[in-house]
Amino acid sequence: MLFTVNKSPLMFGNLESALRIAPPGDPILLLEDGVYAAAGGAASEPMVAEALAQRPIYALKADLEARGVRRLVDGVQVIDYEGFVELVEQHHVVPWL
Amino acid sequence: MGNSVTVVMRKAPYGSVYSAEGFRSIMGVGVFEMDISVVFVDDGVYVVTKGQDPGALDMKALADGFPMLGDFGVTKFYVHDQSLAERGLSVDDLAIEAKVVDSAGVAQLMATSGIVLPF
Repeated sequence: MLFTVNKSPLMFGNLESALRIAPPGDPILLLEDGVYAAAGGAASEPMVAEALAQRPIYALKADLEARGVRRLVDGVQVIDYEGFVELVEQHHVVPWL
Repeated sequence: MGNSVTVVMRKAPYGSVYSAEGFRSIMGVGVFEMDISVVFVDDGVYVVTKGQDPGALDMKALADGFPMLGDFGVTKFYVHDQSLAERGLSVDDLAIEAKVVDSAGVAQLMATSGIVLPF
């Protein structure tokens, strides 16, 4: 399954919840305000770094650029809309709104 | 207190309309020459970070609008220290000149304002 998270990790519990529910190995896609979880140096970084040991985490490029998020947590993979489509084709999608 | 207004920005830009509407309200209050302060708390600090490029979302960079608010008499900007730190940011990452305040300082702004407008 591909869990998608579109909420800020410091304002909402969506990412924390998704990481709890999504089976190890299953990927997480950060989009919209969810991409703030990819920001290096933020208080959410330890949670994200720990999750990366278990699963790939992707962040949508357009949403990172819109928000000026440039310094990323090591290991987070940046994808464009084509990559987004590929992930959706490969996985059963679970939007964790 | 009187007619003084404090606008509290607590939401990230682009993910909702709150920040953009907050910006419009700040301009409006400024035009009427009211005493206005703007304070950025929680994800609101993301509204004024440098380097925003929302072209792919077909939007304009919200942070770019804030430096010109001085033309509308809006010059008092405050940013919450803990909110910055939690996001790995410093004042150098911001597109505006803002005074850094602690939680008590934010509370003081609320307490001394006639009106608090939340966004």
